Amino acid sequence: MILMKIKLNGEEIEVDGRKLLLTICEERKIVIPTLCYHASLFPEARCRICLVEMDGKLVTSCSTKPKEGCSIVTNSERVLKARRLNMELMTPKPPSCSKTDDLEVCDIYSQVGLNNTRFPELRNYKPELGAAVVRDNNKCVNCGRCVRVCADIQAVHAIDFSSRGHYEHVAAYSEKHLENVACIRCGQCILNCPVGAISERSHIEEVVAALGNKKKHVVVQTAPSVRVALGELFGMPAGSIVTGKMVAALRRCGFAKVFDVDLGADMTIMEEASELLRRMEKGGPFPMITTCCPGWILMMEFFYPHLFQHMSTCESPHEMLGALTKTYYAKKAGIDPEEIVVVSIMPCTAKKFESTRPELHSKVDYVLTTRELGKLIKMKGIDFASLPDEEFDPALGASTGAAVIFGASGGVMEAALRTAYEFSEKKPLGKIDFEEIRGMQGIKEGKVTLQGKEIRYACAHGGANARKLLENMNQYHFIEMMACPGGCIGGGGQPIYRDPDTLRKRMEATYAADRGMKLRKSHENPIVQQIYKEYLGKPGSELAEKLLHTHYTKRERF
Amino acid sequence: MQILRETRLEALEKAQKLGADAVLELLEKRGLEGRGGAAFSTARKWKTCKSAPADERFVVCNADEGEPGTFKDKFVMKHNAETMIEGMLICAYVIGAKRCYIYLRGEYEYLRKRLLEQIDDVVKRSGVDVTIEIVRGAGAYVCGERTALVQSIMGYRGNPQYSPPNITTCGLWGKPTVVNNVETLTCAAQAILFDDWDPKIRLFSISGNVTKPDVYELPLGVKMSSIIDIAKPKNKLKAMSFGCFGGIMPVDPEMAVTPDTICVEKCQHGAYSVILIDETNNVVDIAISIASFYAYESCGKCTPCREGTIRILDLLKKVKRGEAVPKDLDTLRELAAHVNDTSLCGLGQSAGNHVLTSLLHFRKDYEAYMKGGAGERAGENPQKRQ
Repeated sequence: MILMKIKLNGEEIEVDGRKLLLTICEERKIVIPTLCYHASLFPEARCRICLVEMDGKLVTSCSTKPKEGCSIVTNSERVLKARRLNMELMTPKPPSCSKTDDLEVCDIYSQVGLNNTRFPELRNYKPELGAAVVRDNNKCVNCGRCVRVCADIQAVHAIDFSSRGHYEHVAAYSEKHLENVACIRCGQCILNCPVGAISERSHIEEVVAALGNKKKHVVVQTAPSVRVALGELFGMPAGSIVTGKMVAALRRCGFAKVFDVDLGADMTIMEEASELLRRMEKGGPFPMITTCCPGWILMMEFFYPHLFQHMSTCESPHEMLGALTKTYYAKKAGIDPEEIVVVSIMPCTAKKFESTRPELHSKVDYVLTTRELGKLIKMKGIDFASLPDEEFDPALGASTGAAVIFGASGGVMEAALRTAYEFSEKKPLGKIDFEEIRGMQGIKEGKVTLQGKEIRYACAHGGANARKLLENMNQYHFIEMMACPGGCIGGGGQPIYRDPDTLRKRMEATYAADRGMKLRKSHENPIVQQIYKEYLGKPGSELAEKLLHTHYTKRERF
Repeated sequence: MQILRETRLEALEKAQKLGADAVLELLEKRGLEGRGGAAFSTARKWKTCKSAPADERFVVCNADEGEPGTFKDKFVMKHNAETMIEGMLICAYVIGAKRCYIYLRGEYEYLRKRLLEQIDDVVKRSGVDVTIEIVRGAGAYVCGERTALVQSIMGYRGNPQYSPPNITTCGLWGKPTVVNNVETLTCAAQAILFDDWDPKIRLFSISGNVTKPDVYELPLGVKMSSIIDIAKPKNKLKAMSFGCFGGIMPVDPEMAVTPDTICVEKCQHGAYSVILIDETNNVVDIAISIASFYAYESCGKCTPCREGTIRILDLLKKVKRGEAVPKDLDTLRELAAHVNDTSLCGLGQSAGNHVLTSLLHFRKDYEAYMKGGAGERAGENPQKRQ
């Protein structure tokens, strides 16, 4: 700490000289609007919205540190005028500020006090419509957060700035469509876009149409991490667990059955843990890498095709459940599989892409993100907060704590270890919590002894961490990869958050939900046991291989 | 001309004999300042780089001279490149660099072949273990700015970067890097060797509506009247501009050209380029061509420069079309001051000067256009204006 005396808006204070002016102001509850600033990225100081006056000079507070004895003014006429004019230049066409979208730029609009703009709109870009991500450069304010998140946190580098001057715009390699370059569809750019220029490809209309079709039996399944985040869209604090209300809302939306992807997660664990044990018998290939995350699968197909043999062949949980819905459930309930429409509610935009993969034979018809579900609930005129708590449909609705923690980074690994341990050692696991692979650390690791052998495991979340972990992957036997920071709770389809503490709260809620469950190991799930008994035989059986396992394709990067 | 004096590797020998610290002292004593624009003490820059802890250091010769009306570096590279290369070797010796780069302006590609031969020749004869590589720019003006230049050499998009960290301590690949202009490095070699070397003598690029546009060597403090005498204008002069950065000013024959007199607001001047404009021009046309330059060359990183320069150009064109109302001039002034005030790098911080100065000194020209559209100006085709 370097203490120095400065004057902030006329008041003499003592501050830490290593802190940015923005942080100093925030600590003193002085609100400074920011656009391009991102707490975990190196400041670029490109939007010039956070200007303050320092000794009579305008500086960007997101990148400037105080000088001994300097005088900072955050609200002089000059500062306010400069901020307002910059905002005006950035958005010749004011953004449409609706309550549902809750865009960051709308707050900034009121913070800088801009009412009308003077300059004509000159841009005319063609919006880009992909299967997962939609981009409209006409709304973009060139803050570059998407570019920096894609490069620095995800290490994917799918987008960058192209052209220069007024014509500078965000583009993929060689102005190609995002669909045709190495984009992993993780949607982190969406979470970081303050103006809504990037968003998920909406499937609300298709789902509403399916719900209105009397001939269709529309089944919905919700991912583990949706229940800890959905409440935020209805004004609840981060980390609220709204499982019961979510199920009730889905029923009121008109879905015939509400199933739990947790069951699919338990199935995934059964298959994955058995695969790990099979590999141990065969002696490799190690490490085995999880494949629940479609963003990571794409990353691997684009950048690491030589790792195919290391990838588990298990499909992701919602695809497994979709497969079971259209076979096991259809048979049991006596419904023609052709009539069943499976809708997944996911925290993820890459799942939208995944559901279009030809090798998965459209087991899931539509994927809605958590944000889209929020919109759907609002569209249907449901007062979410006053809903009663309801239970999932029992046909495919039982879950365990192991499945709930799939939502957080490290959760899949922990769930797999709980089951793999009991499968291989044939005795109950003493300590069920694997604390060393919980939390927000980029790379987490640990070890366990199975069949007398030491199994080293590691988890990474965020593309950059995944790449780092792969550099020395050979020392591990089992690796969990999640493309998004924090795992699915920080997925690209989750409610857009501004408080950096949100992820931690969602994660805590996830583990709290696990602790609250009676059953905490996947193989204890009664419906899982029933499905294997009645239908699949045992994990890794021929039918299970056919329904629940997949293969990967090498993808060209350009 | 002082700049054409060749050092023939004697300066390097002398430097090696003196030792690095003595060379820095000597340069300090001679008063060598950077000739690229910022006029920063060369000795201090080298010293900072030398004392920054690192296993590797770099020397970069900034030959990306792109400011309108400036062509002195081209002149130096054409006529005395050996001395410039020697200057680089001296710098490399002083700071302890093994790899040097010449960042050559894209448009100067035709100089590359000869430069390569000269590099080979000088390095071989000097016997030092230093490599000099030529990196060609892709035509972006902003890459002359040192942080953008460093990005460009490393293969990234040439955008100015926020500093600190300063290039001198954290430049190419995060290592301490000296970035000096062509003229500076040439002068460094000369200043070390010649006791009669004069820091006051500068290169002037003189162009515009004159019969003898060229590079001239003149002392600081020279009167505008003698510059006009040398350049021999065709008609009566109306305005002058020191590069684009200096804005457009009325001609004042009594003005002595020193860094203080030609600096408008915060623009920095080491590169002395004089553009003389005569009475056949409307200053708005000059402003439009400068504004197009800025709008085209803005890298697009920060908002005021990216969006402000194109709006300034739009409004100036509106003035020329005769569609502007007095309120537009207020907007124009507001924008120009704003771009100057809030931009990130030197380009943006001076991108409004031409508007501010021309509005101040040549409001009549604006009003002439506003009254009757593009009026009867010499050299303009009235049909084309429709």
